Amino acid sequence: MAYKKKANRGEKVELSMTPMIDVVFQLLIFFVVTLKQEDIFAKLTAARPAPNQNKEEATKQDPPITVSIGREGFFFNDRLCSEPELDRGIERISGFSKTAMVVIKCTQDSTHGNLVKVLNICYKHKMENLSIFSM
Amino acid sequence: MAKLKSEECAMDMTPMIDVVFQLIIFFVVTLKMTDDTNKDIILEEGKDGETLTQDNMPPTTLEIEVDEFGKISIHNAKLSPSDLAGILRNRVNKYGNEFPVLIRADKRTQHKDVKRVMDVCTASGVWKLSFVAIQEQKAGKKGR
Repeated sequence: MAYKKKANRGEKVELSMTPMIDVVFQLLIFFVVTLKQEDIFAKLTAARPAPNQNKEEATKQDPPITVSIGREGFFFNDRLCSEPELDRGIERISGFSKTAMVVIKCTQDSTHGNLVKVLNICYKHKMENLSIFSM
Repeated sequence: MAKLKSEECAMDMTPMIDVVFQLIIFFVVTLKMTDDTNKDIILEEGKDGETLTQDNMPPTTLEIEVDEFGKISIHNAKLSPSDLAGILRNRVNKYGNEFPVLIRADKRTQHKDVKRVMDVCTASGVWKLSFVAIQEQKAGKKGR
């Protein structure tokens, strides 16, 4: 004991950092490798038509714009059109009124991707009143 | 010169260890080990939608997944439409019908399968439904 005390008094006890740095670097490499960037998601909100809609309120509003989605593609006011044509059509209407009701009619066999495309176009032109009908 | 020879030149490790610990803490905090969403669902692009953040997704948010074949799941747990109806009824009893419902449906899903989910929601009194789309792709997989 006496010998140990004598030995420690003069020297500084140094902690070996090497193993800790090794472990820490291993951890760091693990986290860097496992890190992956997440996608950014968006939400597109629409309402389903309520059955007890007030008729007076409905007549006060602008006439609805109908966009149908079938297996063949999009129909804007019952006319078959491409996505850019639909985009232009909605853009034109949004210039008159942003509150006009847009009724999106989907057939049973249409794909969900097309519905999201139409909703995205409506969001792009800030149309507020979106409603989804299923046929 | 004589002085340098006798003394050992030691590098100060403290700042480096500080930085490395900071990095480790950052990675531990940002790491998500388990992903509880269905990875097979490919979403449609929706660049102009409202960005989903932690702020506009309160804890009451219900995210319903519909895969390519129309199978319904919540947090990757498969459900039947009647199970979903039960969950929605409980939610409506607890929080009213104003809680946000997100439908995360595959872009290849037929509308009739999405309609089935929407019908269950409307039957429970939830009229406002949101569809999840991809705004910005970062994970590197095309179409996710």
